[in-house]
Amino acid sequence: MRRAMIVMAATVAGLVGVLTFRTTPARLTLGALPGASVTRTTPPAAVAGAPPPPSSTTTTGAPPAPGPTTTTTPAPTTTAAPTTSRTATGASVNYNWGVMSVSATVTGTRITKVFIASLDDGGNSRSQSIDQQSIPILEQQALQAQSANIQGVSGASYTSAGFAQSLQSALGKLNVK
Amino acid sequence: MHLVHHLEEVMGTVVTIDVYAHAAAPSVEITPLVDRACLLLHQADDVFSTWKPDSPMSRLRRGEITCAQAPPEVAEVLELCATARDLSGGWFDPWALPGGVDPTGFVKGWAAQRALDVLVSPLVTGAIVNAAGDIAGFGGPGGSRPFRFGIVDPTAPGDLICVVEPPAALATSGTYERGAHLFDPRSGRPMARVASASVTGPDLGLADALATAVAVAGGDGLGVVEAVDGFEAMTVDFDGSMHWTPGFPMAAIGEAAPSAGGQGHDGSRSALPGSPGPNR
Repeated sequence: MRRAMIVMAATVAGLVGVLTFRTTPARLTLGALPGASVTRTTPPAAVAGAPPPPSSTTTTGAPPAPGPTTTTTPAPTTTAAPTTSRTATGASVNYNWGVMSVSATVTGTRITKVFIASLDDGGNSRSQSIDQQSIPILEQQALQAQSANIQGVSGASYTSAGFAQSLQSALGKLNVK
Repeated sequence: MHLVHHLEEVMGTVVTIDVYAHAAAPSVEITPLVDRACLLLHQADDVFSTWKPDSPMSRLRRGEITCAQAPPEVAEVLELCATARDLSGGWFDPWALPGGVDPTGFVKGWAAQRALDVLVSPLVTGAIVNAAGDIAGFGGPGGSRPFRFGIVDPTAPGDLICVVEPPAALATSGTYERGAHLFDPRSGRPMARVASASVTGPDLGLADALATAVAVAGGDGLGVVEAVDGFEAMTVDFDGSMHWTPGFPMAAIGEAAPSAGGQGHDGSRSALPGSPGPNR
């Protein structure tokens, strides 16, 4: 357990790095049709030390709930979107190396931050290296997915499933889809 | 509108069910459909899990029961697996795996597709069952828009390599997936010839099987999928270059991320059918 806590700290540090690394939405080239030759270009390296998100009011999310979670959207209302930032923690989700939960911060309906709230892999050394590598990546994916206006992500990463599920649970608590 | 977002822990992972319905649809009408979908997922897990020693599939693998003594879904799935094996040119072969026949590579997609099918209702405009990145869906999020899904860049997993609008199903297999589950039935050894392979089509069970086949077969696999009616495929090589079949429902191509190394990637459409891939 002590080792797991160390991993968590390292992971959170990694997330902070990612968050300052990319503060603009990912760019996707629309309209690139099949049949065209495609060259993926590399934009200039992100500017280090980009400004942090606006200061936020953080409300503590409900404690992680075990088991399946269903969120039902209430009827749409016409109230103005709130502009304060809110944070919630998603359900604790089993992934193949342990249990993790993800927190999300939203401003209005826009996700501004995604981070690991808890991670317990029982000190498994293999999972530690994978988690340290993959979790900052997953956080970045979540922010990218939002900018791409998509309803899901397909990939061959087992860890990402747990991450995505807990994240979606967190967003459900914040009424953000 | 997005009416239901449900997480179900099943099949060793978490499956997401999203239901989009007309604004007037009462959620009490939708909830039983979601419950029914979840029941099907759990039933599939109970029958086919190779991790549960008492599951009919485990007992069949140990020779304790015959196919005729197992629940009828077992024969159904094995028959579908045989079809998938033939359609994949033998690159997907549950009978070639060490330890005896193992339809796991088909069952997750098959079960998700079955779960999705019970969500069809006049009240529902669209629904998605996302089984750990293998996605079955119908309809769309509202209006006449189709669902859009991102595909992870296997060479820079922090990025999406593209966005697709599949007709129904999208499955991705790759070597960055946990464990060396990709197995080459021709060499009898764990093997993959591309970093990841994605397949779209009308059915997630077959899409899942074909994605596994293409990940193992590499460039040859694109031609194999191209020959299967309604299915399309896209591969990402280990150097990040992309190839896809002419009908692959590409909606957008992602730009390479400003990640460590900062190397650009050159992607190009493959000249199908059966063009030599760089990894052959």
